[in-house]
Amino acid sequence: MEIVSRTLSLQEKLNILADAAKYDAACTSSGVDRRGKKGSLGNSCAAGICHSFAADGRCISLLKILLSNDCVYDCKYCLNRASNDRIRATFTPEEICQLVVEFYRRNYIEGLFLSSGVYKSPNITMEMIFQTISLLRTQHRFNGYIHVKAIPGASPELIEKVGYLADRMSINLELPTKQGLQTLAPHKTHRSILGPMRQIQNGISEYRLTQGKEALMERSQGNRYLKDTIFDTRSSLEISGADESLLAASGTDDAASLSADRTLSRQAGFSAPAGRSVSRHERHQPFVPAGQSTQIIIGATKETDFQLLSTSQLLYQQYDLKRVFYSAYVPLNEDPSLPNPDTAPPLLREHRLYQADWLLRYYGFHVKDLLDEQHPSFNVLLDPKCDWALRHLELFPVEVNSASYADLLKVPGIGTKSAMRIVNSRNSSRLSFEHLKRIGVVIKRAKYFITCSGKMMYSMKIEENFITRQLTGEDSQKNWEIEHPVTYHQMSLFDDFHFDRQPDFGDIQMSLTGQM
Amino acid sequence: MTIFTCSPDFESMMTCIYDAWSSRLGHRNIRLMIEPVGNYELFCEYRHVEKDSDKAASVVRSIRRKISVPAYQMIYRCAMSFQSERLDIIYRFLLYGFSYGAKAMNMLQEPAVIAAFELSRKVSNEAHAFIEFLRFSNVENEILVSHIEPKCNVLTLIAPHFADRLPSENWMIIDDTRSIAVVHPADEEYYLTPMTSAELEQIHQSENTPDPYVDLWIVFFHSIAIEARKNPRCQRTMLPLWYRKNMTEYSRGK
Repeated sequence: MEIVSRTLSLQEKLNILADAAKYDAACTSSGVDRRGKKGSLGNSCAAGICHSFAADGRCISLLKILLSNDCVYDCKYCLNRASNDRIRATFTPEEICQLVVEFYRRNYIEGLFLSSGVYKSPNITMEMIFQTISLLRTQHRFNGYIHVKAIPGASPELIEKVGYLADRMSINLELPTKQGLQTLAPHKTHRSILGPMRQIQNGISEYRLTQGKEALMERSQGNRYLKDTIFDTRSSLEISGADESLLAASGTDDAASLSADRTLSRQAGFSAPAGRSVSRHERHQPFVPAGQSTQIIIGATKETDFQLLSTSQLLYQQYDLKRVFYSAYVPLNEDPSLPNPDTAPPLLREHRLYQADWLLRYYGFHVKDLLDEQHPSFNVLLDPKCDWALRHLELFPVEVNSASYADLLKVPGIGTKSAMRIVNSRNSSRLSFEHLKRIGVVIKRAKYFITCSGKMMYSMKIEENFITRQLTGEDSQKNWEIEHPVTYHQMSLFDDFHFDRQPDFGDIQMSLTGQM
Repeated sequence: MTIFTCSPDFESMMTCIYDAWSSRLGHRNIRLMIEPVGNYELFCEYRHVEKDSDKAASVVRSIRRKISVPAYQMIYRCAMSFQSERLDIIYRFLLYGFSYGAKAMNMLQEPAVIAAFELSRKVSNEAHAFIEFLRFSNVENEILVSHIEPKCNVLTLIAPHFADRLPSENWMIIDDTRSIAVVHPADEEYYLTPMTSAELEQIHQSENTPDPYVDLWIVFFHSIAIEARKNPRCQRTMLPLWYRKNMTEYSRGK
């Protein structure tokens, strides 16, 4: 081990601690609108603002750093695990504040994303995080966006104190099944993750109620026009793919959920009124106004897409999360319980999960519409919406000039914006394909599924095999690029791809065009 | 055909619309153009319109009252575009706007409406990109200076965002292609001003002060990327090369 006797410079620390933080997927600055005020620095836009794009094409919105990479935990997948031989660094609160303020003034960033390895103990780490953002908010009068990771195992009082200063908080679930967590992150338990998640949820709804808002977070405006979205049916759950331990913690029905939740809270001392660490006055401050999020690692363990997406849906419904992020597993450590170190990150799978996640939150889909136990994985060749549409051809074609907003949303190639524009503009006169194109509909996908004034664009049969062939032909190149962003390397038959499905004619087509 | 021409500032454009409208020549027999007119056409009469703040104000007032405030904002964005046909596009939209009122904004089937809609979308996309990608450099006395070279005249569209965000900072954003700038003294209102070459030179001199945070930012920018996910094509889609010329992290090389 290299013995570092001299102290690290700020630049070296930044290099180490940004490098260590980069595997966290969340870098959004969205969810809260806050005007600037004189004497303070910063404001916040609900839509979120990206300031740059790194070489991997991911947006840089926040200064994403760890407070410390000096971690006592030994999670198998993590670069900073205790058993790895790495240079350890820890920022002082003042250093972080300087970086945030000076970067923010120059319009480099929207704010701070502060996470940390577990330095000495969860409570000590959380206390240091609190010190830092407290200094930033009060001394430096920083009014921009702050996203803070709650450290699993930290005391509820500390989490509450941080919640009144942060805009968004998150606790990474990382591995949605109990077994996965036990093998790969032996120091963490689902309880230590879900407990704080519930506590933050309660804090958010409590604050929202004092403001005269509904207890649950606002969702997409368009969801008002949809019946039966995942957010409408939060009490009646019919999910079978999600992990049992998650279900046990939240319950399969309302009563069980409440009781399980109470015991959980009582055991850990969460939301106990006597244990409040924050004064009455402070409790009127916004508490995590941009909501909370979490992250799930894709491809480190054997969970299927169905299990992962069911978990997300459950988290949206039961914990009122604002976002769930998916992070393709990048091999960093060698370990018998981890995938082979040469495994390429499953980027296409991650992409499919994000597509499906949007379908849940904006398009009124449920997990059970997209996947089930018999088909637990997404189609690698088609996006989830096309795949769904092809299995439900009886619902198509949809007449653009009369279909409801909800029905328009189900058409591949029509998104929330274009559906709303269609509904608004067809009042005055009928729409044609040419109009749709200029409105923003992706005609190359939508043309198989819609009619304008009773006519399809070309005379085509609505027939599954034909449309599948057409759509996969158009998409295969793009899918290939997502999975292999830079190089076209020689693939090995054994560990490069994990197609969970039998090869179908699409695969054959790919092999004919020399892609496989 | 009669062609009304005016200089490219917003007030002149609105005056031009006023004069064109009240000329009673018939909407089909007129066109509106921004000066300088490149190619003069045969059999056209060209009429230059001088700006008149009363006429301009009355056009703005009618748009806001008889169509809607969002329609006015859309027209303003269109007027900030670099396209030479922008004034005629605005005029054609107003024809619909004044006869259908607020709902004209939704009539995207009409060629005149969709043209204005697309133009305005283009301008607001560019303005948004500059909100994201412009960079300030910290010069003497903690003054923040930014240079941009936008295609559309986005200064007045992005200034309110920064005025809200940095209310107690001294900052200025300079549009290098048009030699105009938004200047914001700390805790005061911002204003738009033309820049002389002497002023630009003076600012240029002061910008050579070394800034440690520039290096720190470049270090952060490079260490935050995940090598295993490297994807220059995606990076270019999200942040086209064209925007990168004045960006700190790209202008310094690696």
